[in-house]
Amino acid sequence: MTDVVKSLLELMSRRLEPDEREAVLGDLSEDGASDWRCLIEITGLVIRRHAALWQDWRPWFAALAVALPGTFLLMGVSFSISHDFQRLMGEPQPCTACVPTAREDPFLLLCQFALLLLWAWSVGFVVGCVSRRTLWASCVLGALPCAYCLSKFHETSLTPLCLLMFVPPAIAGIYRSVRINAIGQKTSVAMLITTTALMFGAWANGAWWAPNWMLILPVSFTVLLAWRPYLWRASSN
Amino acid sequence: MLGEFEYLLITAAATLGDSAYGASMREEIETATGRKCSIGALYTTIDRLEKKGLIKTWMGEATMERGGRAKRMVRVTPKGVESAKAFYEGVIRMSRGASWVES
Repeated sequence: MTDVVKSLLELMSRRLEPDEREAVLGDLSEDGASDWRCLIEITGLVIRRHAALWQDWRPWFAALAVALPGTFLLMGVSFSISHDFQRLMGEPQPCTACVPTAREDPFLLLCQFALLLLWAWSVGFVVGCVSRRTLWASCVLGALPCAYCLSKFHETSLTPLCLLMFVPPAIAGIYRSVRINAIGQKTSVAMLITTTALMFGAWANGAWWAPNWMLILPVSFTVLLAWRPYLWRASSN
Repeated sequence: MLGEFEYLLITAAATLGDSAYGASMREEIETATGRKCSIGALYTTIDRLEKKGLIKTWMGEATMERGGRAKRMVRVTPKGVESAKAFYEGVIRMSRGASWVES
């Protein structure tokens, strides 16, 4: 039991900044507090610290304005790509669902796939950059529509996992934001131009769904993040 | 205007002087008020007061009784002294004539 409490205490105290962790564990050691007492005190401090993060607009923006709607739209794009790919491959019993972006054209399929990569990466990058310390909350909120749609998925000719095609590039975007936490101005502008061109290409050829225009916003935001990084990131991030 | 706990914290730091840090301030507050003071309340208030420029903190030396861990030392700034003084005088003025105050 003591080992479990000690492990929990170690795990919880790692949520604190190194200096604060040092001072707090020292104070509790000086007081001669039991492991249980230490765990309760440190958990209280961690909860207060996390609650304080939500007083800022950034965690709300990352979770509600980017992760949640982004996941919904990206699932739709993932499904559309799987649908088009299946039809192009000449599946004997293809998916019969009505997909507004569906076009049996290899060029448009590639175009949609490239857009999925750019959109998903940008959503992940923006969520991680704007509010890294509340990333877990953004991920949970992004996972909710996935769980809902997977539970309602009844298409027999496609695997439900096709809805999650956007997840690997989104994780790559999050990884980039957590590890490097920056993007070059030229790279971000090139991404925006490419995305805009591909979006116009898909739109002009009828492979388009109006709400997908919203996905240009995270890509545009990467330009703002590259141009004025400290304007958008919380000081505690 | 300071909050009640902010005032207690500044007063504890001022009373302890050079030996004001987390554990000693917590003990001072608990002894004076008879109320439990959680680590969470203490450290979040220390941060808030530092952001307001009412106290200054820095990492001090580590001691054996703390398991070799460093202390977060606290010092009240002149602005902090002014704010605490204003709070105290406000409470004194407000309390004049109250039934529980001895004349």
